[in-house]
Amino acid sequence: MTDIPDRQTSGLGFVGQRVKRVEDERFLIGEGQFVADLNPKGVLHAAFLRSPFAHATLNSIDVSTAAALPGVARVFTAAELNAVTNSFPPLFMIEGLYTPLYKCMSEDKVRHIGDPVALVLAESRYIAEDALELIEVEYHELQATGTIDQALAPGREQLWDRADGNILGDISADFGDVATIFADADRVITRTFNCPRQTNQPMETRGSVVIVDPATGHLEIHNTSQAPHFLKWAVAGLLVNDGAFRNLSRFARNKDRRKAFSAAAKAFVSTNKQKLLEQDPAGQKSQMKKDMSFLRAQARMAMGLLASNDYPTVKAGDIGGAFGSKGSVSREDIALAAAARQLGTSVQWIEDRVENLLDGGQAREERFTVSLAVDNDGTLKGMKVDAVLDGGAYASFPVSAAVTVLLWKLYMPGPYDFKAFELNAKIVATNKGKVVPYRGPWANETWMRERMLDVVAKELDISAADIRLKNVIREENMPAAFLTGPTLDETMSVAKTLDRALEMVDFDQLEQDKAAAEARGHRLGLGISSYHEAAPGPPNFFSSAQPGSDMFLHEDGRAEIQADGRIVMYTSQSPHGQSHQTTYKQVAADEFGVAMEDIEIVWGDTDRTQFSFLGTGASRGGPLGAGVMRMTARELRNQVVKVAADMLEAAKEDIEIVNGNIHVVGVPTRGTTYADVAAKVASDQAVSTGPVFKEEMKYEGVGNGGWSVATHIAWVDIDLETGQVEIPRYLVVEDCGPIINPGIVDGQVRGGVAQGIGAVFYERHHYDDNANLLSTTYMDYLIPTAMEIPKIEIEHMETLTKGENDARGVGEGGMIGAPAALTNAVSDALGVDVLEQHLPPYRLLELAGIISS
Amino acid sequence: MKNPPFNYHRPASVDEALALLTEHGDEAKVLAGGQSLLPIMALRLGRPEHVIDIGAIDELKSISVGGGITIGAMVRHAEAEKSAEVAEQTPLITAALPYVGHRAIRNRGTVVGSIAHADGAAEMPAVCLAIGATMHIASSTQTRQVAAADFFQGFFTTSIEANELLTAVHFPAQSTSAGSTVVEISRRHSDYAMCGLACMIDAPDGTIVSAALSFFGVASAAVRATEAEAALVGKAPNNETFAAAATIVSNTLAPDDDIHATAAYRRHIAGVLTRRGLAEATSQIGIRA
Repeated sequence: MTDIPDRQTSGLGFVGQRVKRVEDERFLIGEGQFVADLNPKGVLHAAFLRSPFAHATLNSIDVSTAAALPGVARVFTAAELNAVTNSFPPLFMIEGLYTPLYKCMSEDKVRHIGDPVALVLAESRYIAEDALELIEVEYHELQATGTIDQALAPGREQLWDRADGNILGDISADFGDVATIFADADRVITRTFNCPRQTNQPMETRGSVVIVDPATGHLEIHNTSQAPHFLKWAVAGLLVNDGAFRNLSRFARNKDRRKAFSAAAKAFVSTNKQKLLEQDPAGQKSQMKKDMSFLRAQARMAMGLLASNDYPTVKAGDIGGAFGSKGSVSREDIALAAAARQLGTSVQWIEDRVENLLDGGQAREERFTVSLAVDNDGTLKGMKVDAVLDGGAYASFPVSAAVTVLLWKLYMPGPYDFKAFELNAKIVATNKGKVVPYRGPWANETWMRERMLDVVAKELDISAADIRLKNVIREENMPAAFLTGPTLDETMSVAKTLDRALEMVDFDQLEQDKAAAEARGHRLGLGISSYHEAAPGPPNFFSSAQPGSDMFLHEDGRAEIQADGRIVMYTSQSPHGQSHQTTYKQVAADEFGVAMEDIEIVWGDTDRTQFSFLGTGASRGGPLGAGVMRMTARELRNQVVKVAADMLEAAKEDIEIVNGNIHVVGVPTRGTTYADVAAKVASDQAVSTGPVFKEEMKYEGVGNGGWSVATHIAWVDIDLETGQVEIPRYLVVEDCGPIINPGIVDGQVRGGVAQGIGAVFYERHHYDDNANLLSTTYMDYLIPTAMEIPKIEIEHMETLTKGENDARGVGEGGMIGAPAALTNAVSDALGVDVLEQHLPPYRLLELAGIISS
Repeated sequence: MKNPPFNYHRPASVDEALALLTEHGDEAKVLAGGQSLLPIMALRLGRPEHVIDIGAIDELKSISVGGGITIGAMVRHAEAEKSAEVAEQTPLITAALPYVGHRAIRNRGTVVGSIAHADGAAEMPAVCLAIGATMHIASSTQTRQVAAADFFQGFFTTSIEANELLTAVHFPAQSTSAGSTVVEISRRHSDYAMCGLACMIDAPDGTIVSAALSFFGVASAAVRATEAEAALVGKAPNNETFAAAATIVSNTLAPDDDIHATAAYRRHIAGVLTRRGLAEATSQIGIRA
């Protein structure tokens, strides 16, 4: 193990402490500032008319009666808003992927229940909803596709003209000599696994308040966005700007801008040259090429961007959760901004829960047929997976289902020493809500792999523990190139967590407990699962997924000391429950040697923070977000120390800062403060406000590591009379590196496990075969409550590296590990292969053979 | 999820409420705790033109003792749940109420409102059937009493006429030689039950003289398992007797599939609950609050 790096914690040492969250007070007393709290004077309230049909053409729409209702300011048809907005363009250049274009509203055809076809703006949401009932739409219903099998069935009605067979993506990858490995292995074991649809369900639904400056027409958008800068960029590009061509010619005459643009274009082409050349000339893969409207859409959007001297300002305040769903730019966001620009009036849309269940973001409806090539002694040799992802109707923008497939490509063999791996993945279009990233978007690779390991272990008559111990990649073999590309270093410490977790299980006691359960008419089982997650991963992780995409890996930060001595840190993260304010204050306070309350954290305002494509997501808030806070704070501290050393007539190496007192080591009585130093600089520079010290930084992380790992072990007790389940023990041994705040890490792990418990035993977003959504309220989409979640035991391991800012992401892991541990435990309890992820009581009794299915 | 417009009335007396019902009849709904009506309106599944809020009518707010318990139309679930008189006279109600929604719902919702709503998955209608409650129904011109068995008429339907108000429900006191309980299985704590049972068994001298098996969550309305009940009478209250009744229950109930449970599952757990419920009810004989 390497030495603990110098943290320069000459202050109070907050990092590593279970410090109480600074966010809690305002949330608990109802003082949080969420988007619905803004309620600007005179704002118009939006309600969307949504399709009651899963698949239909629109023959006519008549909004005249609705528009005449007192209190209604305006009713926009889809055609009116589509005329002033561009299509959502595909952002990913992936061979075999076709991303159909769509606009913010649907005017010719609706593709899922809830598809927006008109927008009412009224004095209140009540009146807006009254008006919705007065809009007359004539639909012609089409055959709807509600399942993967239906989507793939020959002759099925297509959602998209150019998506033959409803296939949106057909993406393959292989690593190692698959054919030879499979031919040489002792046996090949195959199973098919199914996971039904789930939905991210944040406590706060989506929402947007668009404030129009009456003088300039400038838009200020308050939104529940995980990625405010991306939303700002998208609104600028997707709103048609009448002056685009005029601005374009001005742009073309500007030599510097023209040069910068062509340099960027050249860089893009050279980075993606191979991919561009590899565009398959035939079949499915060339659909994108045939669809020339794709290029037109890109061009239109680019012109919008170029013309947008008037980018909107986006502000994200407090956000009540997202779990990935609010990283997308919603069609509603664009429709609302377009409506505000058309009307010149501020408008707001606060999504209700039914809307959120219809199309707030859905995930994980996937099928995997997996074959493992193994030797009879339990050695894992090769993996082949045919996967199908139910992509729903519209691609989420920017992170679509295709990203899940790219991540499967990298993750599927897991922390085990496979020699060959082949993935064939299809994305199919169905008449359902959009698929978004949901906490560990790729997580089903872990579920199906860990489930499959237990299937193999059972067939080979070895234990679930032994098959993992035998094949897990251990530290002595690192650093190593993982089969699928990314570098594995000692932070890929799954083996350590597995060893430790197994040590914490008393297997003799387990046998006794199983017997006791059986005597009560119950069955008890134990399930293990392990995973590794790039959080944020080595530098070559993103480029392994798609060349050129490592450009998203960096995080920009800024820190300032104001003339009055206040320390202000700016983050491009968009916190929505992860406690960024607390952890960043901890990190910065230690660097500055001050109390946490002396640090102000600014986030969410695109006028004040630096550009970030991703905002909060992809497990970057700890390693990169906190990392750039630390590095900018350190630089700024050094600037202050330099001035203070002059003031104190001492060498800067002799200065220390304790509790905000800047002094020569050992002479605290002759000290100065940040306020005094700032005042001196302000007076020297003759300024009275604004920053007197300032540091900006682009931070790319360090080292070859950046893996976050865990092993989960679940005990599941099933009442064989009723199918009711208890979880008498749930254990997580995790390693996310040095922990900034153990309380917050525990909360992240527990929240993730709770969602995994939800996925297995409670949550199913249930569409019928005609793509009608059945779970449209919380009476039918069942999120587990505190009553259903057991105590979750957590042990931390904190593997360090030679680098600094060694904290690694931990937000997604709980959700990644839990479904496999739980379904493995059920399989162990009932002695049957569990091939599906969702197991309500009736299904458990069917699997147990108690009732017929 | 915002309700359509409606006219709001808040009468101060039963007479005033009945006058409003006479006037507005079919276009009116009575609002007590609002735990079912308001979500239905917010989802625009129901759109009464007139809402008659009986929350200000003091004469509807009492629990009275006399030949059992009479619960007024504005008595909240929580109040009945903690009432010593209710526990003494009709322990089955006390057993049922903790299953009604969450505590916040019970603080607002009313016992009689739940009965008038007549949800086939709710506890209180089944309790009414099990105990043989009597409905006190009033209109401007008359009052009448209706037996629970005649009151519930199917899917969210009762014998209350458009101009009438269910002012109170009377529950006869439980026999001193009887035991009773409520058992149910739901997806999560406090969800509607996939199957539930309000049961009572009266066995004065080691022989069952009467039994009530009142199921909810298995049909469009609460339903008594009369065949199984008949099979219990004259038998000793033991596991063998209960298992035989359970088999009859599983074979005679005809529940539907929904997204939470299959019909086969519901039939199966109806049998399980029959055994469990009868055993627990038997253990309650002689134990009174």
